[in-house]
Amino acid sequence: LKRKKLIVKDHTLTDGLFRQNIVLMSALVTAPVIAAATTLLKSAALCVGFSLVSFFTILVCRFIPHKIVYTLRIILYALTAAVIYMPVWLLLRFMFGIELVHSLGVYLPILVTNSLIMAKTEVRFYLRDFKTMNIEVFLFILGFDAVCLLMGGIREILAHGTLAGQPFSFPFVLPAAETTFGGFILLGLISAFCRAVYFQIKNRSSKKTMTELIKER
Amino acid sequence: LDILVKMITAALFTIFIQNTVYERALGVNVLLYSARKKTHVLGYSFGICYITTVSSIATFFLDKLFVENEYYEMFMPLLYVAVVGVIYVITLIFFWRFFPRVFYKIKNYVHLSVFNATVLGALFLNPQLGGDLFSYIGYGIGTGLGFMLASALLFSAGKSLSCDSIPPSFRGMPVMMVYIGILSLALSAFIGYSTAA
Repeated sequence: LKRKKLIVKDHTLTDGLFRQNIVLMSALVTAPVIAAATTLLKSAALCVGFSLVSFFTILVCRFIPHKIVYTLRIILYALTAAVIYMPVWLLLRFMFGIELVHSLGVYLPILVTNSLIMAKTEVRFYLRDFKTMNIEVFLFILGFDAVCLLMGGIREILAHGTLAGQPFSFPFVLPAAETTFGGFILLGLISAFCRAVYFQIKNRSSKKTMTELIKER
Repeated sequence: LDILVKMITAALFTIFIQNTVYERALGVNVLLYSARKKTHVLGYSFGICYITTVSSIATFFLDKLFVENEYYEMFMPLLYVAVVGVIYVITLIFFWRFFPRVFYKIKNYVHLSVFNATVLGALFLNPQLGGDLFSYIGYGIGTGLGFMLASALLFSAGKSLSCDSIPPSFRGMPVMMVYIGILSLALSAFIGYSTAA
């Protein structure tokens, strides 16, 4: 039991950021990253929106009694997220301006039904004690934010030759990087790269082949 | 006949030009899950089609009522989630009362086809695409059929995408993303492309 606890504790720190990253590893929240994170500023706005909506919704919904049937509980999660979305929307409008918020289109409001709230809560977060849950939620959100900013930064450099609006010396411009298909392909490539790094690290420590590790996963 | 043409045009538009998965990248996680089995492809697509179509009728009237309001964008998600939630509960009660076998079969995963980015995203897109009630219904049907198309294409490529000739780090989600990206590129031809002068 002690060993099991130790494994859970170890994974608490790495799961959200890397091992089970909700964008790169499990593809649970991808739409905003693929379609809306086309510049660093847009990515930053998405990160603020996603972080605040997800964190406070998961925190508040923890207090919804488990006696309520799952069918209704899931609706309450979404409704809570939609209520929390209102002040977050005002904050984003104040921080980034109405034009940028509008440019995010449907990808901002759909955050109220993101899989971190609708799926991970029931199978992971609410099975932990309160303190561990908060740490895990924070790390999962941080994992999303890191990937979202990375994608936004890379796509802005590739598509516009700038970073956060400032000129960035890059030999060529690739306008397709900011399209949806560009987002899919880039995300696939980054995900494959991260998996290769992960398998390499694992491989070194356990002396197993990459194919064996994939089968284990 | 006019109504039928309107609905078919709107549906075709959302299947090929504004496909929720290929053009909007909505509901990719549900797509990856549903493309694992043939029954999932049909089940999830039907669920999404039903919810988006019925919800579109209700949200059409909400949009007409609040479209002028400056803060509609802010409370839009609350109204839409409430609409979807009510339809979801009524549908489940209907199945529980008249088709208990089906209810017990679907009750554990039906929420995945209801509360996801595809459904909510499609409802948010309706006012942007515009049109009357029948166009809204057409968009709803088209969203479901578009998801079915995406799901069927991914399902049919499932074996090829998990074969041993694919590098290990690309297997699973990365290669699927690249595959969806290539299909998205192909479908973007419907929108048209012109080189800069």
